This record gives sequence, structure tokens and C-alpha cells, in this order.
Amino acid sequence: MPTQERANRFATAPTALLFAALLFFAAGLAAAAETFSIHGFGTLGAVRTDGDDVEFVRDLSQARGASDRWSAATDSAFGLQAGWQPAAQWQVVVQALSRYRYDRSFRPEIAWAFVKYEPTPNLSLRAGRLGTEFFMLADSRWVGYSFLTVRPPGDYFWYLPFYSIHGADAALTLPAGEGVVRGKLFYGRSRGSIPLADEQWDIRGSPMVGGYLEYQSGPWQVRGSYANLRFEHDLPLAPVLLKEAGIVLAQADADFLKTRGTRTHYYSFGLVYDKGPLQAHLMLNHIEQGSNALESSDGGYALVGYRVGEWTPYLGYSRVYSKAGKRPPSQVAGYVVADSHSDQKTVFAGVRWDFARNLALKAQWDGIRGDADSLFPYRQDRRATWDGRLNVFSMSLDFVF
Amino acid sequence: MIRGLCKLLLVCLGCATAGSALAELVVVVNARSGVAAMTRNEVVNVFFGRNRQFFNGLEALPVDLDDANPKRAQFYKLLIGKDLSDINAYWSRQVFTGRMQAPPRLQSTDEVLKWVVSHPGGIGFIELSRADARVRVVYELKP
Repeated sequence: MPTQERANRFATAPTALLFAALLFFAAGLAAAAETFSIHGFGTLGAVRTDGDDVEFVRDLSQARGASDRWSAATDSAFGLQAGWQPAAQWQVVVQALSRYRYDRSFRPEIAWAFVKYEPTPNLSLRAGRLGTEFFMLADSRWVGYSFLTVRPPGDYFWYLPFYSIHGADAALTLPAGEGVVRGKLFYGRSRGSIPLADEQWDIRGSPMVGGYLEYQSGPWQVRGSYANLRFEHDLPLAPVLLKEAGIVLAQADADFLKTRGTRTHYYSFGLVYDKGPLQAHLMLNHIEQGSNALESSDGGYALVGYRVGEWTPYLGYSRVYSKAGKRPPSQVAGYVVADSHSDQKTVFAGVRWDFARNLALKAQWDGIRGDADSLFPYRQDRRATWDGRLNVFSMSLDFVF
Repeated sequence: MIRGLCKLLLVCLGCATAGSALAELVVVVNARSGVAAMTRNEVVNVFFGRNRQFFNGLEALPVDLDDANPKRAQFYKLLIGKDLSDINAYWSRQVFTGRMQAPPRLQSTDEVLKWVVSHPGGIGFIELSRADARVRVVYELKP
């Protein structure tokens, strides 16, 4: 669709310009003022699998993925942040990010742009374009240097293609014994699109509300969180079915599969133990879909890493499975619902090597063992030959400055 | 077993630091802050930005050292047994999620003292021998 593509290009051109302007502006000011800061992060990644029946993606926001040839698109990213503190209690942050996204491009976008106000040291109020913490660590998913693995475990994060909202959040911290209790609430309207075959599912404007409660003491951190999202738009099923299978979507099926006006609920629990050379994570989530087109799911992962000198070997296990909802009224509707099914476990093992200041090299193997009908996490699936088993090999170089 | 390993590591580190003659480190606050002593967890909470207030409500303003200063690595090793890359990874998450900025990083103990003395809520780490009447030692890092 050339017209739409042109429209996209027009829409993102100012963003790219803003990205460049930010760089120059920031570099100039950083030298001039003490209250101005500039930081960056990035990842050079390479990933391949041992099969070509499906394409492996980092999460559902990516249109294409990796198969049996090395690909740098899936995990590579570059981000830049400019922060300005005009007064003690105020802060302005703009962060740009370039990574492979729903429209098959690396077009830079403004990931966050917000004003933060802290009336007291333990109360933070933010408004603008904000990262969302649907699950623990969800808002640092592209900052590879900040975590142990090559990428956040897919079985847990695949279902989360949402990154930011236009809205506001409030976070309050209260000391409790030797630990701290922290609570956060956010509300806003989502941004972005999710790819579906050659089409895109527009999730812009969908209202999101959520929050979490966390307790942190010494090496322990435990968090429970909840969020929900009401979709503003339907899945682009009619054009996809027509193009892929020559099927005209019946009205009854369209009604059954509608997402517009449906609400999805996200529940999660996270437990982290981090002491000396040892770190361990246990995360669980439950996603309750409001639409018949998407199956509700449970996911989780456990991860343990132990540092020895500059090397941190790690081992993890993750699992995701979804449950069928209402019986689809037709074969076509059934085919669409089947596409949102997942049922697989992954064992992953790797090592992080902190070989130089603010630089880390990682190598990782993921052994995915699932059912042949576990299709949701992938792109370009060949249902006839896909058997649910896949080995994924990854390497990455992460940096911050 | 893990605790045993940690202890062994700390003992080894103790030998190493004794060998390279690194001085004993202490956490100091501004003498007028009203803070007399802190526990290890309270120190951790302040230096990692988890809690930004002292028990009396005063805003805590921690100050850190540059990576190039060997006392930085010594401090975090003794406080929580972590390497600097772990600490920097932690701060990269805080910064790039927009939650908070890392404490300022200064070059030398002189600069840390100057900061602590000039900010009522100032808190930093220095060698025990450099502590004077303008600051109060609230926590000793035992090797």
C-alpha cells in the first residue's frame, strides 16, 4: 500500500529530525550546564535459529524475525537520553530509541518525553510520554546492559508489545522497617501498532490503567502488579484473510473476533533475590483477554546467575500456555483464534562477560520445546511443518555511556 | 553454603586489600543532619536511591566516586559484594526507565567531603582517617 507507506514516512520524518536535533542540542548543552545530562545505551545483537518454519521475534511488536540465518535486526538497538533539571524538584527527560519495529524499519522514535515533579523526596509525579511497567522490568527491555540475558525471556514478554503511553504516573515510597514499600499508579493512552501479516493493528488511543505494589529489603524484592487495556481498534483481519487466503470475512465472524471495546487484564508477580555474586528471578503472569480472537494465557520464568570474576553464567526456564475460550462459530474464526495459541517451555543458558567498563558480551542458547500448535509467539509460521521445537543461538554486545 | 562462599570471598578480599594497603572506608553524613548511625540496609537504601530520606525526613543526597577511583569498587564490594559492572547495570536501568538519575560522581575524597559538608543531607564514603568534626561517621565498612 504505497499511500499508507508514504503517510508513515511523513509521520516519522519529524521524529528522525527530532532525534538528530536532540543529539546536537544535547551535546552542546551537556558541556555548558551542570544540570544537563546526556546518556546512551545500545546493543549489537546477532541471532539465528535451527529452523525455517517460523521466525523468532523478541516480542509481538516486531513484524519479521530471525530464522536459520544470522540476523542483526531482532536484538540491535540504540537509545539516547537527554535530561535537564531546571530546578531541584523538576526534571525533564527525552529519550529516543531506534530498534526493529512493527513497520520493518529502525526508524528512531521518541520513546519517552516527560516532565517529572517531586514535591517530596519520596513522591514522584510524571506526565507526558511514559514507559509502562505492565510487568517488572518491562520498561527497561531494550537496555541490554541492565540485565543478565541477551533479551528478556520471550515466554514472559512476547505478549507485551506495549511500550509507552501518553499519560501520567505517580510513585510513592515509604520506609518500612529496614526495607521500603513502593507503590505506583499510571493512566494513559497507548501508542504504536502491532504487526499482523502485512497489516498493522492500531493500538493508539487505547486507554491503559495500572499499578503495582512492591516491597524491597536487603537482597529481596517482591512485587505484585495489575494493569488493563481497552482496545480502541479491531484487528485488521479482513484485509489479512483476503490477501493471505482469499477469504472474505463474514460479519458473524467479524463480530465474534472483534477487539474494539474489549478489555484485557494483566496480572503479574515478581520476586528477585540479588546478593553478592548471586541473582535469581521468579516472575509469573496471567493475561485475561477480553476478545474472543485472543486466547488468555499464563506465563512465567525463573532465572539464576552467579558471577565469577568478569563472567556470569546463567540458567533459566520459562513457560507460556494459553487456554481456548469460547467455541468459534466457523472454521475461519477457528483458524484466526488458533493463531493466538501458545504452549511451550524454554530452557535457556548463557554467559555474560563484563570484559570492560560499561561493556558486556553475551552468548545464549534457547531450547524451545512446544506443541506444534504453539503459533502466537512467531512470525511467518508454516503450520504444516512446524513441530514446536526450535533452538535459538544469540550473541550480543551491550554498552552504556 | 552460598553465605560460606561469600564469607570466603570477603576474607580473600580482606587479604587483598590489606596487601594493597587500602584504608578502612566509612560512610559519613553532614554533622548537622541529626543522623547518628545507620544500618547496612539503610545505607544500601540511600546509595541505591530506594529511599531518598533519612529517618528524620531530611532529604538524603548521596554522592559517589568515579569508576577510576579504586575506593568506589572497594565500597560496593564491602557493602553488598557487587562488582562495579553490577552497580553500573543497576543505574543504567534506573536512568533509562526515567525513574531516577544516579548520584553525582566525584573524583576524590576531598570533593566528597566538600559535598557532604556543603549539603545538609549529604552522605558519602571516605577513608576513616579523613573524617573530621564537620562530618559524622554513621557506618563502618568492615572487610
